[in-house]
Amino acid sequence: MEHHIKQRILKNALLSLFIYALPVILMFISFYLSGEKPWLKKDPNAKPKTTKQYKY
Amino acid sequence: MIKFIEAVFENLNGWGLTALTLILGVAEFSLGLYGKKWNTNEKLLDIVCYTLPKLVITPVITYFGLKFLPFALPNAKNIFDWVPFIWGALIIAIYDDLTQYWYHRLHHEIPWLWRFHRTHHSAPYMGMAMASRQNIIYTLFFSQTYLTTILVYLGLGYPALFVKGLKSLITKLAHSSIKWDKPFYEIRWLHPVAWVLERTISTPATHHAHHADTFDDGVGHYKGNFGNMFFLWDITFGTALISRQYPASYGIKSYKEEEWYAQFLWPILKSKKEGSELSLNGPEVEEEEPVAENEYRSALVG
Repeated sequence: MEHHIKQRILKNALLSLFIYALPVILMFISFYLSGEKPWLKKDPNAKPKTTKQYKY
Repeated sequence: MIKFIEAVFENLNGWGLTALTLILGVAEFSLGLYGKKWNTNEKLLDIVCYTLPKLVITPVITYFGLKFLPFALPNAKNIFDWVPFIWGALIIAIYDDLTQYWYHRLHHEIPWLWRFHRTHHSAPYMGMAMASRQNIIYTLFFSQTYLTTILVYLGLGYPALFVKGLKSLITKLAHSSIKWDKPFYEIRWLHPVAWVLERTISTPATHHAHHADTFDDGVGHYKGNFGNMFFLWDITFGTALISRQYPASYGIKSYKEEEWYAQFLWPILKSKKEGSELSLNGPEVEEEEPVAENEYRSALVG
């Protein structure tokens, strides 16, 4: 593999890690700002909202 | 209204996409968009690649979701089902599509991986016929499928339904030989929409460029435009080329019309074509002609 391609892959992979983390970070920032804590509302007996195709 | 949208996506994922593929495929064929390039070998390969993996991949993914994950992560089932829909959809969309971007890109940039992806690029035409054309190993190790199955197991199944439908729709339409994006480039008042559209999602113009058999003519760009649903990844990582034009020809220069079974099952079955990348002791990647590198790089977007 050419050196500049290898370097670009490494650089872009690091940026990707940040992008993977971004929606989760933004979600928790939104919870912090709105004061919401949806994980506390979780009913242990409630069935998750899934469709037949995605039910495991 | 929500029930209606839900039903649309359920049907889209169930039979809708198959029907759409068939309707578009018939339309493309009737309009003569495959030219005379869709010969028996190509037809066999396209049909086998569309049908057979479903018999192999579906049981593997089902086993992974129903048996392996409950065994590996017994207490994790639905632990994130409290995640609001909009955030769940965003997480699934980014995780699935960015992972596929990398899976796809590495098959182009790491020489020993190329032959597992070559089958998708050997088609000398675009359209529904070749949209699912992949080597079986490439399909089997489709990394984002497993990642998304894990996220569904963890409780993001509902948003996954919508993301999967939308993604399949975008990727199929990007492969279509019906250039539905052309009016956006030709009608002046639609230019701002085109600007946003072509940077956000894959379109026929950008994805056809990825399937071109050239990359130094300002239109073809098979060493970039790797995005599947989102084109944003190519913009972000500097692998994008937007020309608003369509390549004159598709496929790969080194194509020797290798037997359909060798393209589908390499390295289990090899091609008998002498000098082929898929033949026994064939080259990993056939030599390319030198490129005007500076000229090429200056045309890149992002």
